[in-house]
Amino acid sequence: MSILIDKTTRVLVQGITGNQGRYDTRLALDYGVNIVAGVTPGRGGEEVEGVPVFDTVAAAVASTDATAAVLYVPVAGVCDAVTEAAEAGIRVILATTENVPRHDAARAVAAAREAGAWLVGFNTNGVISPAKCKIGGIGGDNPDALYPAGRIGVVSRSGGMSAEIAMALKSSGYGVSTAVSMGGDRTTGRSMCEYLELFENDAETDAMVIYGEPGTGNEAEVAEALRSGRLRKPVVAIVAGRFQENHPRGVSFGHVAAMIGDEADSASAKIELLAASGAEVASSLDEIGQALGRRLG
Amino acid sequence: MKLTEDIAKDLMRRLRLPVPEGTAANDSVEAGALAIKLGGKVAIKALLPTGRRGKSGLVRLVDASNAETAAAEMLGRETDLGYVDRIYVEKGAQIAQELYLAFSFSDRQPMLTVSTAGGVEIEQVHATSPEQIVTISIDPLKGLRPWEAIDLWSQAGLKGRPLAQVGRLTARLWQAFVALDAEMIEINPLVIEADGNLSMVGTMIEIDDAAVGRHPELADMPSGQSANPRERLVEEANSAHPGGDARYVELDGDIGLLVAGGGAGLLQHDMIVDLGGRPANHSDISPAPGTVKTEAVLDAVFSNPRSRSLLIGYNHLQMAPVDRVVEALANSIERANIDTATFPIILRLFGPREAEARALAEKIGGLTYLPSGTSLAEGAKAIVEATRKVRAAQSEGATAL
Repeated sequence: MSILIDKTTRVLVQGITGNQGRYDTRLALDYGVNIVAGVTPGRGGEEVEGVPVFDTVAAAVASTDATAAVLYVPVAGVCDAVTEAAEAGIRVILATTENVPRHDAARAVAAAREAGAWLVGFNTNGVISPAKCKIGGIGGDNPDALYPAGRIGVVSRSGGMSAEIAMALKSSGYGVSTAVSMGGDRTTGRSMCEYLELFENDAETDAMVIYGEPGTGNEAEVAEALRSGRLRKPVVAIVAGRFQENHPRGVSFGHVAAMIGDEADSASAKIELLAASGAEVASSLDEIGQALGRRLG
Repeated sequence: MKLTEDIAKDLMRRLRLPVPEGTAANDSVEAGALAIKLGGKVAIKALLPTGRRGKSGLVRLVDASNAETAAAEMLGRETDLGYVDRIYVEKGAQIAQELYLAFSFSDRQPMLTVSTAGGVEIEQVHATSPEQIVTISIDPLKGLRPWEAIDLWSQAGLKGRPLAQVGRLTARLWQAFVALDAEMIEINPLVIEADGNLSMVGTMIEIDDAAVGRHPELADMPSGQSANPRERLVEEANSAHPGGDARYVELDGDIGLLVAGGGAGLLQHDMIVDLGGRPANHSDISPAPGTVKTEAVLDAVFSNPRSRSLLIGYNHLQMAPVDRVVEALANSIERANIDTATFPIILRLFGPREAEARALAEKIGGLTYLPSGTSLAEGAKAIVEATRKVRAAQSEGATAL
């Protein structure tokens, strides 16, 4: 097992004829991903890297039984693209677009939830279940080097940090069951805790590593789930952005979401809350391996 | 983007929502004349895009004849909320009851908060009588319908004739919230006047920065440009070139940072501070191909008189070619005429086309390109030490002179 995607996943690419869509599709095919369809309105009947292109998601699903969708769609079209995929019956939708306006994001999240689909993103570089499947650019041109297979689940609010965590895991002898870049925007399809609950029920995951930042209620929800016993597997947390507390509130230093609104939003508050709830808090990537060692023996 | 009251109320007026009569004034004479025209009691308000003005004495209710003096006292004041250079003059309301209403967002959903305890700061109400505040999330696919708003206000304790009126206005405000791509609309107070009419006396609007581009009606807004010329340089590069924005915020330390992505940047900054280093700026940049914005950030770092060193610290790039970053570095070094012997530059830059990037860095000369696999922590340590050395050498040099 793994979460969200595995060997049986049939992937569709919305916006496959654009540069990024085409490039990521090539790399995913090289990794062995089962990309069954592309969608670009008006380009139906063409092929990209040998993958058939359709005009609509519904037509693509009808011919190919696609179950997951990757979206390379500009901001203006992303809410519609998510809704189209959700209504066509796609189960896992990955929206790479960043800085999506809040009203569009909220509508897309609601549409996906209503259809029972799992929306990853916005502002994600992908999900990878090593040696099985990946959606999005995650892992780049050499996913095997960055993401060796193993039994640790990763959920990160930053795509880049997902790779850094995987490297740290590799150097201390661990590998990844599934790594998720859940999205750097403030609004994401699912919360960090919802991913951890999937890992909690995944027989092939022994422990989870999370990367958090200032802003959003994601980390507080994880702390609550740990405290209430909904999460029993060990969670190692790394939370960046303490330096922001030396500067005025409301200044954004990185991801738009990583803005401190009130005290509870700060990195220090999150670190304290997670530690008090039983998470192992690592202050650097190099400490992740030791923390896992302590908890997994 | 937070709107000033004159603009916010003008937008509301155009949507035929009830706001009091009022106009902005640039000086006290103009303010006085406007007040006389309105007559009776008038509100004189400092035009700053923020709440909490009442507390700081930046909102005063006076007779029209005293408006000029009141405006003169406010204008030119440097307050903790900002410098007062304009005044809003507004007809005073005949207040029978004051309500509170706000649309905002939680992480994933729009929210509506209402209270019959309006006219004071909502934080204060929350602290003393939280039961007076009612909040719901709104399904963005259905929106807020009038009967739902009426139900909510009824839960908040509003009764009788105003209930239907306030509920319907709330539903219309929801439509404005969506139409304006607002992140926040706060009406405090929403006044029920003596004659039963409603008036949105306090109106604050914050527009979603990510959506400003699709609102031509907001295009001529006084843009919140930075006062810092180097921050402005990066902002200008952003507006000239669409796509992922670069961010550059200047701080008061001496270590220049070109860090990415958002997460790795935050982590490296924390580590540098933990090691006793003090960054001269923070930055964030989309690693997507293209060097214009990268060069803008580098130019800003090199022209900041406080920078003594530079860390180019990217997370392990998975898609974007890293040699483009070194290309940008070569251009900016040449433009700023940087001597890499006295201005240490450390690169932690791994990923596609790394060999080409290393060859180019070799050609520039004097750079420290950390070996593949070096951790973010080691990169942070290296820049803190290198900067400490230049700082010591420079202060020694200063003493020798």
